[in-house]
Amino acid sequence: MKNPQGKTLLILGESGTGKTHYGAQLLLRLNQQDGALRMRDAASNLSAFESALQQLYEGRAAGHTATADYLESFWPVEDRSRRPMDLIWPDYGGEQIRRMLEQRRVSVAWRDRLTRGDGWILLVRVQHTNLSDDLFSRPLADLGSKSRVERGYRMSDQSRLIELLQMLLHIRGVGTLSRISSPALTVLLSCWDELGEAGEDVRPAAVMTERLPLLADFVGANWHADRLSVLGLSSLGRSLSDREQDEEYVSRGPERFGYIVRADGSRDPDLTVPIAELAARTG
Amino acid sequence: MPGSCSSGEGTYRLKAHRFAGSYTIGGWETIAHSLRWEGGVGPTFPPHTSSGGGRRPGLLHLGLRDADDRVADLLIADAPGEWFTQWAIDREAAGGAGARWLGDHADVFLLVADRESLAGPQRGTARGQLQLLARRLGGERRDRLIALVWSKSDVEVPTETQDAVREAARRAMPGLVEFSVSVHAGAEGAARAKACDPGLGFVELLDWVLAARRPVRDLRGPARPTSDPFLAYGRR
Repeated sequence: MKNPQGKTLLILGESGTGKTHYGAQLLLRLNQQDGALRMRDAASNLSAFESALQQLYEGRAAGHTATADYLESFWPVEDRSRRPMDLIWPDYGGEQIRRMLEQRRVSVAWRDRLTRGDGWILLVRVQHTNLSDDLFSRPLADLGSKSRVERGYRMSDQSRLIELLQMLLHIRGVGTLSRISSPALTVLLSCWDELGEAGEDVRPAAVMTERLPLLADFVGANWHADRLSVLGLSSLGRSLSDREQDEEYVSRGPERFGYIVRADGSRDPDLTVPIAELAARTG
Repeated sequence: MPGSCSSGEGTYRLKAHRFAGSYTIGGWETIAHSLRWEGGVGPTFPPHTSSGGGRRPGLLHLGLRDADDRVADLLIADAPGEWFTQWAIDREAAGGAGARWLGDHADVFLLVADRESLAGPQRGTARGQLQLLARRLGGERRDRLIALVWSKSDVEVPTETQDAVREAARRAMPGLVEFSVSVHAGAEGAARAKACDPGLGFVELLDWVLAARRPVRDLRGPARPTSDPFLAYGRR
């Protein structure tokens, strides 16, 4: 659905980064009417999140979104000063992103999404990214035998994410000669609860610099400082199983769980904050 | 180039540049992945660049943004050593076409002296080849910048050999700058590992390359306006 007055935000994330959980929880928060953003009308279509919501109500994790699915929900929202805004929130199987990278091809549908989005939200499940030691961080006394150990070639997680952003910017027709102001970018480090103690009292930007230094450099060097933000997200507040019920979830309701980690490291139960912030930054 | 530090002290910083992207990130990765610790397996030598029959080298791209927000695009040639050996002997050698192409097009030359081979059993050949290459480079240099880079600087090389190479290089290429680089832990390895040193000399070398400027030329503007000057020419 197109709406020239509305803000179109595009949610980008590989599979397993928690796009569906965030969408479902966000929907509950918007309907609660007490956050930075709230529904001003009934959403047109909630079918994308129906089964995910059902699972959360029962205290279970939602299933995996099928690869081919791409469902858009149209959410009429407003901010605290009653400024109306229309969010188009997509839900899709994250493999679509992976396939774009592997095949170096972007479908027409995705090209349109990429060109019309006012802001991009990149979900990165930081605990699932891997930063291997290398020759510089862990030097060897000797490279030893020159024998080459055969090992499968695998692109590092941060290079893959950088390549993804480069591809998407190229499709959008945005160069990096001058810093990027549109689309605005929010990097959401998802499943923050998995960080455990390492996620206490720490700025999300610092976590990104530590865990994904090259990606942190890439976005920091290319986006305008006021068009970039790095936040933490725990949509569920804890890990749920897709089989076992979490009793507390059932009795208190999923809308009582989950939090955002703001840029300064403080936590906020209002999951609409990243969206409100990004929408504000898109001008 | 920008690597990470396991002790959490952050990324190695060039003096004034930040990583701003690469058109050849897959190419960097094919080299970088053999230098990583993965699944308990330590770094190995990256695969030897095969000499093949190409007439132009593979190029690796690095975009770096400076403090004034300008992007510097670096193209680094990944060329097989055999090309240069042949080019040093015969400028028109068929097997040295790629080296000749680089000799025509490069803005900055780094003449790498591998200390390990200068100290090894074939040190005589290594020294001779290096001296020849220095002379060839000196002849082809025009107004371009050249640095002599001693690699594997932790390896001891007899002083006479070192002096012979240095003298030949200086004679052929006045104004030569020298750098020493090493990724080996070497003697003071433990201390450096703890301090998370990005290897010796690499950051200094890259900073020097980035500061290098050739005399300005007037370039016709691209036919079409573009947000990406790197790909502005040759577009139809």
